[in-house]
Amino acid sequence: MEILIYGLINSVSLALMALGFTLVYGVSRLPNFAHGSLYVTVGFVTWLLLNRLGLPYPVAMLVSLVLIALVGAATYQFILVRIRGMAISEIIASYAIGLAILEGLRWGGLKGTTLTLPVFAQGSVDILDVTVDFHRLLVILLGALLVGGLWMFVNHTKLGLALKGMAQDERAALTLGIDSDRMAVFSMALGAVMAGLAALVLMPLGNIVVESGYHVLIMAVAVCIVGGLGSWTGAVLAAFIIGFAQILTTAWMGPHFQVVVALLAIIVTLISRPSGLFGRQKELEERV
Amino acid sequence: MFEALGLMVFYENMLALNNVSLTCRDGQIIGVFGANSAGKSTLMYALSGLMLDIQRKEQMQGGERITIRGKVNYLGNEIMDYQPARRAKAGIVLCPERRRIFPESSVLENLKIGGYLATPAQAKETLDYVFSIFPALTKLKDRLGGFLSGGEQQMLAIGRALMAQPKLLLLDEPLLGLSPAIQYWLAKSIKDIRDQRGTAIIVAEQYARPIMPIIDYGYILENGSAVVEGGRADLMDNPDVRAAYFGN
Repeated sequence: MEILIYGLINSVSLALMALGFTLVYGVSRLPNFAHGSLYVTVGFVTWLLLNRLGLPYPVAMLVSLVLIALVGAATYQFILVRIRGMAISEIIASYAIGLAILEGLRWGGLKGTTLTLPVFAQGSVDILDVTVDFHRLLVILLGALLVGGLWMFVNHTKLGLALKGMAQDERAALTLGIDSDRMAVFSMALGAVMAGLAALVLMPLGNIVVESGYHVLIMAVAVCIVGGLGSWTGAVLAAFIIGFAQILTTAWMGPHFQVVVALLAIIVTLISRPSGLFGRQKELEERV
Repeated sequence: MFEALGLMVFYENMLALNNVSLTCRDGQIIGVFGANSAGKSTLMYALSGLMLDIQRKEQMQGGERITIRGKVNYLGNEIMDYQPARRAKAGIVLCPERRRIFPESSVLENLKIGGYLATPAQAKETLDYVFSIFPALTKLKDRLGGFLSGGEQQMLAIGRALMAQPKLLLLDEPLLGLSPAIQYWLAKSIKDIRDQRGTAIIVAEQYARPIMPIIDYGYILENGSAVVEGGRADLMDNPDVRAAYFGN
């Protein structure tokens, strides 16, 4: 029972971390290796607004989400657009941006393990003899809401459908009046907001540290590779596979092996099924 | 309504389109005929503005240097520097070569994505219209685009382009890879679209036989130049055209 509940929580956390990354890749084929740094930035900025400026918690969260959307859009508009379509350069540039942000934060004073965001709700509850605190339950709820909201957005709004079209065939989307550059900027902003939401939901469970930026990036990449790059259903499914695998190894072998599981998952996927669980559908490509 | 003047496109030093001028009046169907590599697709890219996007991407990646010269006048504006999305918004919609259906979206979703520029009322009206001229699509609503046959994909591609509310529809090789029976049926559908919705249409095609009877005016491209032009009757009487496209 403990494994079930904590596995679920862990899986939802992973899905939260990965969704922004997979969204950006799915729409504009841009591997955004600055994803983890956006995640940490939101946590740090929220902490600053909360503790230095004394803003109320919801306002601080909202402001930092808006800020991170702008940062995401600006990185694309001013830097990444110049190297669009060159995969290696995109990885190097976005990783460099991520490094600069993370190490900049460390240099700017984000050191040690003393900074924390408050949890949304105090207290805990016993479910079938397993003690779970309210915030962790909220993670499941918010994660489900976010995935559901994203699904609605992508399948039932004009903008979401346009993103989906562009993800599949940019040139065809252009002929239908979908402006690919503006869509890419928008997807970067949306991806940054997703990273921010993940940070706001998950960070109260631990400390705000620079290292979590790298951790989130590794997890996001692992989930996306296992699920198939750019596939949202795949990402959610992969988050559950890796999430439960991590909790099981923790229970049987000890917590040190958590990251090993994620990295092993990458290797196993690349060997056995290189395009991932829901990667671009091979059978389709063969037929067309 | 639409007029291209002296279009020239170079890929590096190779002249792909040589001083081509083309006019399309309200509600006309214009045919552009030519063999492979005559410059049909290049012309369509230049008219729809995709050439600008290709040019920019090539430049960014240090690829081929593409040069575009000439003028395009459309509804009283000079639109040569309009990017493709802006041209689509202005009503020039390209239905690209090889259809470029969204393979992982259902037929209905393909059409909905096509309705990006449409108001909800327009989208609904056009959706009904597409299903009325292509009834075969009604049954396939939930099938993924990638699993359609060539003919079905072409119907979907034309339907999707119609969803974008074109005033001028550009069709690039709509008959490619289809059986002769479907080619004639599709040519008739193209004419129906013009007759029923008043959409001006420019068709680029190498199969002249099915398309020639529905056009008002046509151009023959050869090695990037428009070597012959004329009304339907003129073209069909021209001995060179007959020899090249009708085999007699």
